[in-house]
Amino acid sequence: MRKLSYLFMILSALCLAVPAFAQGGEASTVNWVAITSGFAMAIASAVCGMAQAKATAAAAEGLARNPAARPGIQLALILGLALIESLALYTLVIIFAKVK
Amino acid sequence: MPTPPESSPSSALEPENKTAAEVVYEGALPRIQRSMLVLAFLLPLVASFWLSWRTGLGLALGCAVAYLNFFWLKRGVEGLADRIVNAGQPRSGKGIVARFLLRYVLMGLAAYGILTVSPASLYGLLAGLFLPVAAIACEAAHEAYVALARGL
Repeated sequence: MRKLSYLFMILSALCLAVPAFAQGGEASTVNWVAITSGFAMAIASAVCGMAQAKATAAAAEGLARNPAARPGIQLALILGLALIESLALYTLVIIFAKVK
Repeated sequence: MPTPPESSPSSALEPENKTAAEVVYEGALPRIQRSMLVLAFLLPLVASFWLSWRTGLGLALGCAVAYLNFFWLKRGVEGLADRIVNAGQPRSGKGIVARFLLRYVLMGLAAYGILTVSPASLYGLLAGLFLPVAAIACEAAHEAYVALARGL
């Protein structure tokens, strides 16, 4: 019963709050697309950098432990680094497509 | 008394008997580079005919930058591997790091140059930067075909 009363109290508070949502303010002049694009590029670059560092560290450790596995590790590292770089490029392309 | 055959340090690390699958996978990197060259020649031509010569020019420039970027990436990784396993000619660590960083400088300069000269071909440049991804996709398709056809 107490839960039900809390529910009704919350609902009534929300009903009173509805007119507040209808109050119109000034039109926003902030270019949110540019701001979020900057954040997106920064996050993508940081994560891609971390991923490249992790891949390189793992490959270096693997090469040091097992030098005979060099051809396979080297191929995987080159392809991995190229594909990780392309992820940052995807973000850049999306930003160029959105911000004109 | 028979003398044991001389072997270099690098050959001692490589297994002598390679399976057919290993032979196929060893040729992956040269095949990717060849695919990049073929795509870098074909894609700008197609883009020039279908879209505009500016887009084709941007695509050609993007492909050139992407190929150089991939080549330097390969050289950098080879230098890193040489340093780790102490094989080949010793290269300076500073040179390897500088080459890694120069790749980004080159890409930035090309993008800035084409943005100031002709913004219309910027999309072509951006598309051209994905040349390694297209070549890797071609290689993946080739390896899938070989695996299915030969049962490797």
